[in-house]
Amino acid sequence: MLLDFDRLGALRAVLSGIAVLVGAFLLLPVIVIVLLSFGSSRYLQFPPPSWTLHWYTDLFNDPDWLASFATSAEIAIVVAIVATLLGLMASFGLTRGRFRGRETLRAVFMTPMVMPVVVFAVALYALFLRLQLNGTFIGFVIAHLVIALPFAIISICNALEGFDKSIEDAAVLCGASPLEAKLRVTLPAIKAGLFGAAIFSFLASWDEVVVAIFMSSPDLQTLPVRIFSTLQQDLSPVIAAVSTVLVALTVLLMVIAAFFRRGKPA
Amino acid sequence: MTRPFLSVQGIEKTYGAVVAVQDVTLDIAEGEFITFLGPSGSGKSTTLYAVAGFLEPTKGDILLNGKSLLDVPSNKRNIGMVFQRYTLFPHLSVADNVAFPLRVRRRPKAEVDARVAAMLKLVRLESMADRMPAQMSGGQQQRVALARALAYNPPILLMDEPLSALDKKLREEIQFEIKRIHNETGVTIMYVTHDQEEALRLSDRIALFNAGRIEQIGTGHDLYEKPASRFVAGFIGNSNFFEGTLSGADRSIRLPDGTAIRGVSLDRLAPAKEDVAIMIRPDHFRLHDGSEAAAMLRGTVTDTTYLGEYTQLAVTTSWGAPLSVRLPQHDPAVSVQKGQPITLTCAPSNVRVF
Ligand SMILES: Nc1ncnc2c1ncn2[C@@H]1O[C@H](COP(=O)(O)OP(=O)(O)OP(=O)(O)O)[C@@H](O)[C@H]1O
Ligand SMILES: [Mg+2]
Repeated sequence: MLLDFDRLGALRAVLSGIAVLVGAFLLLPVIVIVLLSFGSSRYLQFPPPSWTLHWYTDLFNDPDWLASFATSAEIAIVVAIVATLLGLMASFGLTRGRFRGRETLRAVFMTPMVMPVVVFAVALYALFLRLQLNGTFIGFVIAHLVIALPFAIISICNALEGFDKSIEDAAVLCGASPLEAKLRVTLPAIKAGLFGAAIFSFLASWDEVVVAIFMSSPDLQTLPVRIFSTLQQDLSPVIAAVSTVLVALTVLLMVIAAFFRRGKPA
Repeated sequence: MTRPFLSVQGIEKTYGAVVAVQDVTLDIAEGEFITFLGPSGSGKSTTLYAVAGFLEPTKGDILLNGKSLLDVPSNKRNIGMVFQRYTLFPHLSVADNVAFPLRVRRRPKAEVDARVAAMLKLVRLESMADRMPAQMSGGQQQRVALARALAYNPPILLMDEPLSALDKKLREEIQFEIKRIHNETGVTIMYVTHDQEEALRLSDRIALFNAGRIEQIGTGHDLYEKPASRFVAGFIGNSNFFEGTLSGADRSIRLPDGTAIRGVSLDRLAPAKEDVAIMIRPDHFRLHDGSEAAAMLRGTVTDTTYLGEYTQLAVTTSWGAPLSVRLPQHDPAVSVQKGQPITLTCAPSNVRVF
């Protein structure tokens, strides 16, 4: 290849340097937040004068924060399950179906990924005002479902496209009904794609803030929303602690997702 | 005649304007090994898939023991199938793959275990029961697929080019296994291939497909010795074609150099036909010994190749057509040198006219 990394000579050092800098630029804020969450300074002094778990104790003793944790987790889990189920059905249609407008439909399913989130949030807010869904759990789930669905569909469609339909046909000829063949053969064979769909849908909801701000009410706030509203009143190190927990969970899920993708039989 | 076991009657399948198969009719006896042979896109898989129930013919019927199969869904047809691609269930071990059709049928565990063991023995893979499909070679996977397809004792086994992804040596090995399994189980087999050697080696009868139709059904011997059409003659084995004309009241065949060929059966020919194609197999030629012969061809030897059991001659006829000739080593013509003239004969019964 023309731009072979090994043949770039002195440029290599420069490129590596830039890569490290970009990486640092992206990671540094996160690292600072994590460090601050363990720092003793009330005013987020950096570097921290000494270390403490005080803010974590505060966090886990504050019913409001715990309620938001629970809200976020509940919404994200329901979204992950429903998005995976809906994504599975949509993906079967998109990969197996033979109908006009299939590619258009696929594009339509992807629009939430490209549409400006604010526009979508405002539109949904206006609609939910009529349906009286603003500030409700269902409203939250529906809103996040729309955002999560493209991720689920991409993941499951990829898995289904990589799965030879003849294998399902073989199961049917073996005597399994079409539904049984899907449950006993196709789904186990694409389980890596299903787990990927669930994890990415979970994350899409878990750290979503724009739509969540529109959907939330005083007694129904997801974690990112509470961070945002708390931040507006007071810069407390508890926020750093919350953020750290959020990051840790996200990283954990990403690792699990990566593990599943690696473990997928070639 | 007794009622045929499986009867395919006038099957047609169209996709919009595309005709995949047309007017495909054949009767299959119980325990028969029938092969669908033909070029790519000729409708072999389509016919097989119609029997399997994966597609519904636009016309025609398929009868098993006199009853139509068309309204029976695939999973109730009780038919076994081995596919061209590897279709083992990737998340199940070899033993669980073979057990799958039995578990779907809710057979008792003892029966399932016994049957799985028997099937793995049949395909000689007893030692691999606990392997996962990804840990096996292509040939082994196809043998497991065969075991799985036979596990529930289906009366009919369909195979769609099951060996086409394997190398030649392995292919021959498994052909032998398939033949043995056919003998041992007595299952009726419909087998698709585009490899004529495979078809000749395995089958009781061959259905030769061309452009969505069956050109001829018969034993390998029938297709080779008595091809019904120019397509069959060209597809099965090697063949020489040259032009000729029919003339006179006796409708004798004349070669381009004016030589007449007599005594050839013209039964199958359209009555008004004058320009014909003449076909002679390379191994049906003999050196002319000077006596009166019904069919004589003159030409010049352009090349000779010694090939052990026989010698291959390249001959150019007196009117310039290339001819491939295969002579047994005892034929005196074997000693003919390059550049020499040669006169060949052929028994009239071995001359085909289309
Ligand atoms: N879904 C489809 N839509 C349109 N045409 C089709 C479809 N399936 C098959 N055909 C056409 O039907 C014809 C027969 O196909 P078929 O698969 O039966 O051929 P085949 O003899 O099995 O060939 P091969 O040896 O390549 O497998 C082909 O011309 C093919 O293009
Ligand atoms: Mg085919």
